[in-house]
Amino acid sequence: MIPRNKSIALFFAAIGALAILGCKKLLPSDTDAFNKDAGFKQTVYKPILGRTTLMGDNFNIESSSLPLTFKIVSMRNSDGITSPELLKPFPVLVWKKAYDGSEKSIQEIEAKRTTEQHTLFEVGEHSGEFIMWAEAKSNIVKALPDSGYVFDVEVSNNGGRKYFNNLVLQPQRELPYEPNRINPLTGANTGGSINPSVLTGIVGDKSGQPLAASDITVLFSKVGEGNSISFKFLDTLLKPIDPAKFKLTNWSKLVHGFNMKMTTTSVKYDAAYPIPLVAIPTPYTNTTGTRARVAFAYDRIGFGGFRVEASLGLDFAIFEKGDWEVIFWFNKDNPRFTND
Amino acid sequence: MSFYNTDMTKKYILNLLLLVTLAVWGGAVSAQTLISVKGKVVDKSDGNGIPAVTIMASTSTRAIGMTRDDGSFTVSVPDNATLTFKYLNYKDVSIKLNGKNDLKVVMAEDRTSLEDIVVVGYAQKTKETVMGAVTSLKGKDIQDVPVSNVAELFQAKVPGLNIQINTGSPGAAPTINMRGLSGISVTGSGDNAFLTPTSPLFVIDGVPVDLNTDYQYGFSSNGPGISPLSLIPPEDIEEINFLKDASATALYGAQGAYGVILINTRRGKSKTPIIQYSTNFFFNTPPKLRQVIGGAAESNLRLWEIYTYGANVYSARQSIDNTPMLADSLNTFYNNSTDWQSIFYRSTYNQQHNVNASGGDDSFNYKINVGYYDEKGIQENTGFTRYSLSMNTRYKPSPKFNVNLILSSSLGNTQKGSGNGLLQTGVASGAGSSSLLPGPSLINSSAALGALIVDNDNKAGNIKTSVEARYEFLTGLALSNITSYDYSMGTTETFNPAILNNNVAGVYSYNDKRSTLYNRAMLSFNKSFQKDVHNLGAYVFSEVYVRNFQAHAIKQNQYTNDQYQGPFGTSAASSGGGVLDNYSDSRAASLAGSLSYNYKTKYLIEATFRLDGTSSTGLNAPWARNPSLAVKWNFNKENFLANSKWLDVGMLRLSWGRNIAPVGSVFDANGTYDYYGNYNGMPTTAIDFNNLPNIKLLPTSTTQYNAGLDLNLFKNRITLTFDTYYKMVDNQLWEKNITTHNAFTKLKTNEVSNVNYGYELALSFRPLPATSKVNWTLSINGAYNKEKITALPDATRQLLLDGGATGQAILYRLGRNSLTNILYNFKGVFATDDDVPVNPANGTRYHTFNGAVPVYFKAGDPYYADINGDYVLDSKDMVGAGNSQPLINGGISNFISYQGFSLNVIMAYTWHRDILNNPLASSFQNFASPFSANNLVPIGAYNIWRQSGDIANYPNPYDYLRYGNYGATDKSTQFLPFRYNQTLFQEDGSYLKLATVTLGYNFKPQLTKRLGITSLRVFATANNIHTFSFYSGADPENVSSLGRDNSGGYPVRRTYALGLNIQL
Repeated sequence: MIPRNKSIALFFAAIGALAILGCKKLLPSDTDAFNKDAGFKQTVYKPILGRTTLMGDNFNIESSSLPLTFKIVSMRNSDGITSPELLKPFPVLVWKKAYDGSEKSIQEIEAKRTTEQHTLFEVGEHSGEFIMWAEAKSNIVKALPDSGYVFDVEVSNNGGRKYFNNLVLQPQRELPYEPNRINPLTGANTGGSINPSVLTGIVGDKSGQPLAASDITVLFSKVGEGNSISFKFLDTLLKPIDPAKFKLTNWSKLVHGFNMKMTTTSVKYDAAYPIPLVAIPTPYTNTTGTRARVAFAYDRIGFGGFRVEASLGLDFAIFEKGDWEVIFWFNKDNPRFTND
Repeated sequence: MSFYNTDMTKKYILNLLLLVTLAVWGGAVSAQTLISVKGKVVDKSDGNGIPAVTIMASTSTRAIGMTRDDGSFTVSVPDNATLTFKYLNYKDVSIKLNGKNDLKVVMAEDRTSLEDIVVVGYAQKTKETVMGAVTSLKGKDIQDVPVSNVAELFQAKVPGLNIQINTGSPGAAPTINMRGLSGISVTGSGDNAFLTPTSPLFVIDGVPVDLNTDYQYGFSSNGPGISPLSLIPPEDIEEINFLKDASATALYGAQGAYGVILINTRRGKSKTPIIQYSTNFFFNTPPKLRQVIGGAAESNLRLWEIYTYGANVYSARQSIDNTPMLADSLNTFYNNSTDWQSIFYRSTYNQQHNVNASGGDDSFNYKINVGYYDEKGIQENTGFTRYSLSMNTRYKPSPKFNVNLILSSSLGNTQKGSGNGLLQTGVASGAGSSSLLPGPSLINSSAALGALIVDNDNKAGNIKTSVEARYEFLTGLALSNITSYDYSMGTTETFNPAILNNNVAGVYSYNDKRSTLYNRAMLSFNKSFQKDVHNLGAYVFSEVYVRNFQAHAIKQNQYTNDQYQGPFGTSAASSGGGVLDNYSDSRAASLAGSLSYNYKTKYLIEATFRLDGTSSTGLNAPWARNPSLAVKWNFNKENFLANSKWLDVGMLRLSWGRNIAPVGSVFDANGTYDYYGNYNGMPTTAIDFNNLPNIKLLPTSTTQYNAGLDLNLFKNRITLTFDTYYKMVDNQLWEKNITTHNAFTKLKTNEVSNVNYGYELALSFRPLPATSKVNWTLSINGAYNKEKITALPDATRQLLLDGGATGQAILYRLGRNSLTNILYNFKGVFATDDDVPVNPANGTRYHTFNGAVPVYFKAGDPYYADINGDYVLDSKDMVGAGNSQPLINGGISNFISYQGFSLNVIMAYTWHRDILNNPLASSFQNFASPFSANNLVPIGAYNIWRQSGDIANYPNPYDYLRYGNYGATDKSTQFLPFRYNQTLFQEDGSYLKLATVTLGYNFKPQLTKRLGITSLRVFATANNIHTFSFYSGADPENVSSLGRDNSGGYPVRRTYALGLNIQL
């Protein structure tokens, strides 16, 4: 009798155990959705060298679960040969604290940056954003008109993975400053002049007529490898104009520079590069923060005894560190500073 | 000794045994000397005498006497006899006389309830032979608390039954879910998203009542919004059985996929007629309302905020000057300190009366119940009144034939105020107004005023009738038939006075009718062989449902004035009427059979099979085949345990089976054909291209495995019921959009499945021995339920449901709990500007956008996790978080009685559920618009960020110029620090609720007898006393079934009641 009872008990226990333990195996696992239709919206990337370029909003996730993981694999030249210059890490300058325009010295700005080792072309692990670091120069990486590089990206989450092959990276040559007249394919100057973006109330000394923007040529010139920016004004004969004549200029807020040195020929600041440092609106930039904004102004008594405020402004950016001069050349007529 | 299945068999065998016993002992009896014994039988719980207790002598199997009304008795028996006292639901007491002739007999209720008759699957069974997972409640367990809806009283008493009293609206139903979530589809979005209800099927005295049709859910219909359960007087209930597993619900299979709850009303069972009167006078108070800032304090706070965080002092002054509410502070319109909540909330005195007259015995009995319940809502202009009258009788002219008749009718009347029973939007917008404004009057706040003066009257009437006849033409072989008809009607009359409605008075009138005709014809067979060693039972039956529903509405506008309502409005354009498009006419037919066998009631097996057809099923699969199988082992009957000192009952159950519940409508399966314009001058009919008919549409089916263990230990001082289950809910209805190149727009399919699995435990413990004068029972029950999605339409892995106005999207994902919230992951508040992460590549701070304008985070702003690491907060950074369904819920009850006194304490708990605290979010949001006339609540108690360096829990609410637009449709490109869809406002909704405390006293019968009263009990009850919770909102239970707190919800009242029960 007892053995039979035991076997019955065992039978029930076994079924009970099966009922409890067997269940979970029927359930699907809680893994991410990965839609095979997901893909890159942009397959050819043409960053400009010499400046940090973020190339985002480039992936269509369809109905995949976020976050996705992106990884660049098999970076190679266009002919298929591996490209060590984009595989090995270089020291790059990265931000670790927020720049906000209130810094009081170059040291304070530099304290917010540090050097890290990165490959020159990277992808954000979960954002899918490509980054071309500013330290990538055309002396290291191939730039247009070379066909550039080809690479594959592995996109995955725990629900699946997919390789996107033969994405193309074609860096463009450095454009060290903006605005410029340089052909990004060749690096050669295309001719034509750069003109100030704001010009009001300046009349020609000879003509007495208001000057147009095209009457002033802006020249960028790098004169050294230091950390400064200076502004010069040249008259039609290329003789310097004393910057102090722009007497209404707010010199301390002209650029985010320090140790202003004003001479009769130029005004010079120590400055951290690039200019602007970060694309946020500060007192030194345009409203969106993408360009530094300088404005030189003066006033005089104009025709009929009215006070005239004159202003000369330029929105610009310089990406390459150095001792830069920004020269405003009055190519047609000199500005009139005297009262009428 | 126990018998199988029908009382017929029982009686037959009993008679047989009686004869045998008499034959053996008959001769001996005459030899004894007879003595007269007197005494009294009293109830252990209250010390009162028990009338009509059957007294038997050991020398005879015939009853030799019965106690009188006060419990006293006198019998003549042999001097050495043993007297046995028997009374229904009480444990038998045997006393050996040994010459004693004055006895005091104390009888205790049989709380093991093992021998209780349970009606499961259209047949009466003892608990020993019930194969499925069934929990029973006695009517008197729930009858001390005055509530409008009886289902509220089931809370905390049944493991696996999750009842959340999520609205306090009188006459509305709580949400009821048996064994987790049986449906995952959601209607509406954002704040107004509601889970499609999957309440169990209620069967009231054999008449099925389906709660899942739309008319109970006022928010989606125009009806009176009275739950059919609210029409049942709880005082009339004798017993409730909760059928949980597939085996138990198998015979209700065509409707039983979500579980079945059987409610049986009282029957006459006393030869002396009994009249019971019970009444409650109860006082309802609103729960603690939220604090608001009033008058000058509010005005000053607004001015401070504008001066502190405005762009500069000039623009601040200008904007204040442009806001009359702030600038014109001496204007009487703006110079107030109105407490809006006190205008809408009130405390009310209410009453309830019930008279129940019953009598009779097994061959003829009757009952009549008259009830009246009146509750005024704690919100103005709301309330519920119920009138009910019901009766039943049973005629049993011979043991072979009986007829049961049931007739019950009730009428509910409710006022809904400005809302729809579930939501009180008028009150919410009113109570959300600035205190500076004057109270509701003809010159202000029409929405708020509407809550008070809209004239509305809503009625729901219901008549249930049922006739059941049973004829046992051969021993063990019986034919029975039950026919029931359930007719309900609802009407709504709403009159909007002209002052509320742009000077247009109007009336809305609605009426509907719903009927269910049900018939079941059954042939049953029961036979025992070899002296109850082999017991066989079988039956087959067919059942038919015929259901109809139709609603009409009429709307008339532009009446002449507010006093004269009708007869005609003058605006034909804005008036109209006719049949609403939610009419239905459906049929369901089933054929079912059952076969059961047991060996000495030790090993039991039962199998059922049924074929179900419903008219909402597609043509391709008209019949659903639903089998079930259950085995049971009553191991306490095994020889090696039969004499066990510690084990009284031990039962092991295993079951498997499938049930269905019809979903969708006949139109989903077959399409809608409608008037489609004229063709060649003739009106034409064509298919409605909105919905593609699905000829493969199936009913929702539930497949369930269950394993259960019942144990009674140590002379029933510990009873334990444990169940574990695995429930698959397949073929759930899902509406999906189909690609635009199809002629049709939408299709309803059965592609959604989910699974619930879990454990249920009910443990009851009596610490004191049976001899103690104090009767103390401590019970605890709980259910652990996990739910996972197993299939989604088109075999996708995940689906996202739009979050609507609040942006609180819902994620459906395979292998995960349904109803995951998609939220921004709040990690804290930036204490200083330096805490904001910086993009190392370009140096920009972590930021988001107001439209196209970047907003850089700074100190005091919320830190949301940047999931994709691009230093931009956008919708790609949202995460799936939380589960709105509780992991564990159950209840604790403690019952103590000593002589006449009794104390009953019931607590309900829910553990591990997430709630989205939208009212708190919106309180903070109000600070973002200091110029609007919304209300401001004191937020000083919250740890908000105030100055740089503060480690705060809540962001800075005052920096209003930087915030985006909380009303924007695309909230993903807005900087909204107090947005609804963030984990900051997802809070733990676990709670322990002190639900009910009842203190009762039974007067001694000696005192009441001279008044002609057999039993008199007075009691005091407090209900919904206190909720212990970490939740920072008002009430973690008063949230939607999706776990969303809504400031428009109707708060749950607190009740203090004085009650009286009199039995004549």
